Amino acid sequence: MLTASTGALFILLLAALGVAVPLILIASRAQGARRLAIALILTAGFAGCVMAVYGFLGQMAPRLDLSWATPFPFSLAVDRLSAFFLLLVCAVTIPVTIFAAPYFDLHYSERRRNWTWALFSLFVLSMIVVVTAATGFAFLVGWELMTLVSAGLILIEGDSTERRHNVFIYLLMMHVGAAAVAACFFLFLPYSHGLDFGAIRASGAGMPGGIRAVIFLAAFVGFGAKAGLIPLHLWLPRAHPIAPSPVSALMSGIMLKTAVYGFVRFTFDFLGGGPWWSGYVVLVVAAVTGLLGILYAIAENDLKRLLAYSSVENIGIIFLGLGTSLLFLAHGAPLGAALALVAALFHTFNHALFKSLLFLGAGAISNSTHSVNLNELGGLQRRMPLTGAAVLIGCCSIAGLPLFNGFVSEWLTFRSFLAGSALINTKAQIVLPLMVGILALIGGLAAACFVKTFGTAFLGRPRSMGAEHAEEAPLGMRAGLVLLGAGCLALGIFPGLLLRPLVTLAQALLPGAGVPEETLSIARIIPWTAAIVLGTGALVALFKRRERLARTWACGLPGLSSRMEYTSTVFSKPIRFVFARVYRPDRKVEELPADQPYFPVSISYRSVRTTSYERVLYRPFVEIIISLAYRVRRLQTGNIQVYLLYIFLALVSLLTFLRFQR
Amino acid sequence: MKIALDILQVLMLILGAPLVGAIIARLKARLQRRRGASIWRPYAELFKLLRKEELVPPTASAVFRLAPIVLFGATVCAAGFVPVVHASALLGSRGDFFLLVYMLALGRFFLSLGALDGGSAFGGMGASREALVSSLAEAPFLLGLVSIAVLAARADIAGMVAWTLGQDVFNISAVHILAFTSLAMVALAETGRMPVDNPTTHLELTMIHEGMVLEYSGPSLALIEWASAIKLHAMLALLIALFFPWGMASSGSGWGLTVALLLYCAKTALLMVLLSVIESAVAKLRMYLVPDFLGVASALSALAVIFTIWVKR
Repeated sequence: MLTASTGALFILLLAALGVAVPLILIASRAQGARRLAIALILTAGFAGCVMAVYGFLGQMAPRLDLSWATPFPFSLAVDRLSAFFLLLVCAVTIPVTIFAAPYFDLHYSERRRNWTWALFSLFVLSMIVVVTAATGFAFLVGWELMTLVSAGLILIEGDSTERRHNVFIYLLMMHVGAAAVAACFFLFLPYSHGLDFGAIRASGAGMPGGIRAVIFLAAFVGFGAKAGLIPLHLWLPRAHPIAPSPVSALMSGIMLKTAVYGFVRFTFDFLGGGPWWSGYVVLVVAAVTGLLGILYAIAENDLKRLLAYSSVENIGIIFLGLGTSLLFLAHGAPLGAALALVAALFHTFNHALFKSLLFLGAGAISNSTHSVNLNELGGLQRRMPLTGAAVLIGCCSIAGLPLFNGFVSEWLTFRSFLAGSALINTKAQIVLPLMVGILALIGGLAAACFVKTFGTAFLGRPRSMGAEHAEEAPLGMRAGLVLLGAGCLALGIFPGLLLRPLVTLAQALLPGAGVPEETLSIARIIPWTAAIVLGTGALVALFKRRERLARTWACGLPGLSSRMEYTSTVFSKPIRFVFARVYRPDRKVEELPADQPYFPVSISYRSVRTTSYERVLYRPFVEIIISLAYRVRRLQTGNIQVYLLYIFLALVSLLTFLRFQR
Repeated sequence: MKIALDILQVLMLILGAPLVGAIIARLKARLQRRRGASIWRPYAELFKLLRKEELVPPTASAVFRLAPIVLFGATVCAAGFVPVVHASALLGSRGDFFLLVYMLALGRFFLSLGALDGGSAFGGMGASREALVSSLAEAPFLLGLVSIAVLAARADIAGMVAWTLGQDVFNISAVHILAFTSLAMVALAETGRMPVDNPTTHLELTMIHEGMVLEYSGPSLALIEWASAIKLHAMLALLIALFFPWGMASSGSGWGLTVALLLYCAKTALLMVLLSVIESAVAKLRMYLVPDFLGVASALSALAVIFTIWVKR
């Protein structure tokens, strides 16, 4: 009975997002229709959360079988892992939708607004399908839909050559990734005789080691491309910043997490752990991703590009946890594996919260100031206090500071590295504790990066007219921001809320794992530290009595102007200088007039960070493909007789093949 | 009883902090053949500042006013992790050193934001340099602590101290020497001492911490100065607790605690002499040599972690 009702809820949820919302929006352009559509998306989000909770408790796992209507088996089910990611998708969708309602109203004409909402709804639907798919076909359908719909949402914002180029790169890399994911499924086929997840799981253990290794690598490449692991991250800083802010929030906040879901599903659930070297491979790639991601983020001045690179960094942190977990698993230590997996999944959830918060914040800023260039912002805290407070919470969380949620997951990752010193294997004993240094460096740089971000955008003096005349964001936008900020704070001070279910989930994925003691101790200690910090703070705040406004001393000049203030570029200069080897800046100084070097009228200076990936890694591939294409073109003569010959040859070879196969 | 002792230890760290800074300044003055100010001067100064009116730049927002409060709260919380005379601490048995390090980071984060909110070039200058130094100091700080934690097979600071207390004084391994060297270097960077930062400078070419606090006055300045004094004291106490804890009381008896207190004062005095000699003998490093300094600290601490493999057996 209850199973039937949750199944019905499932159908209603999918139908609302996939059919009702687009139909309503296409049928009518009235304001009421759009409101109804938004209400439907919100209801679907709540329903998804409810289903996730039911699915997690596991008593009446929602299940939906649509195989009667589809060419290949298509069914959806919510087990514990799916339930966690379903909760993540739906819980983040709700505040983003609340934010998007006024945002799309202000930014788009009526026609485009309806299209945006329709695609928005389909985008959410596709992500729900991906995380709840119970067959390979359903997964691939959702996966492909997700890519295409998000590309559509990027193109809605405008249509320039550069934008098309970026979307092309996005689509290209996503399809390379999708091919690898599809290959993973097909590699299972000879052993599982079907693409049902249950059959795949059952066949996972009995497969030869070579095939398992190939599947692991294909899953790592396929999901790594979607997650944005370096060097497959190239699309991410191109595609995320040019999408509308709420869509960037969905892409960075949730879409990247579906890749984490896929990777966990394949390596932990289907394969039950990779080959012995898999942990090391993941750790190395994740460490490079985290470090380079945050270094590139610091160097950015465009807020949305900065956030995109910081997503790369956070994906690195998540995969550090996953790699550690694989390493523990390979050495037969399920308890440590559970700790690292909990850390990775907790960080996945945290990143979904604070990254969507920050992207929405960027949307609120661009809405008020018409710029996301940090060098043109400043002084927004006094003009947009609530937005500023929410973004400050997001910045503290992403910098991994205690009392905010990002700290808890980074702490768990640190502790799982430390637990590695208890392994028997000497290699792992050395490598894992040393990773503490890597994560500490990432964390330190992230703190520097977000001091810069918040400091230059919200504090000090405004550096442009737009920032000077900024006004607070409309109510709906503030509501979305505040909801996400409250989520970050709640999980930061009471991490036990999510830790306990996550431990259950990890135990379900890793048979034999107990409850890691660290997850209990952090949940106990954090509220106490919060009480001490806040209590002491409240106590010393009593000292303050009188204050007087006084102009900042300007070294005897008439007054300070915003041009004397540190900008985002200058702030990051010391770090860029120290890590110049990484950035390899391409500097251009032009002095005018050129023939009078000592008396220039104007000097222009340009410094561009060059990414050598394109030159070193991608260019050779592209050149090989192009040269192959030229060779293949010779087959295309345009002469009909030649094509008839091809058909004849194909027929003959097929017939001979069939003859000899028998 | 135990909780009272733990609270007393935190209060010692907080209330004794201005004295530590003053004694170092006095020792430095003597080494430079000056008379130096009274060692009670910082208390008078805190008292004075706390009663004064506060001047706030017109550009400042709530963050400017909040920053000193968060900094002070976080620093006090960090001090709660450090054992002083007894192998326990208020938060030391439940919380571990990662929490301690990140509490300090929380305070620093807010202080940097407050500096940027002042709207002057000096605040930005200080914050930007602090961002460089602190982001590079975090890795050696944690790695140095990790090496001791691996040996002790504990992550809580009280447990690590208790383990060290159980070891023979003469059984010092290479790991301890490497870890102590790197943590001492980090402590210099963390607390803004020479050769990384000059606590007495007001020259824009060199200042880091002083640049950040330039716009603060009155109670806010008092909180910031006090917090950095607590940080210095807590770092010294942490070094003592991790590397020279012998003599620390393991029971709550009055006699044992008195001896432990006297020994603690002697050890701190030794470190203060060492610090003042270093500060008088060494010139401040050029800004872009600081990464090399911290790089050496990182390498030492990484070696310490690697060597734990052989020491453990």
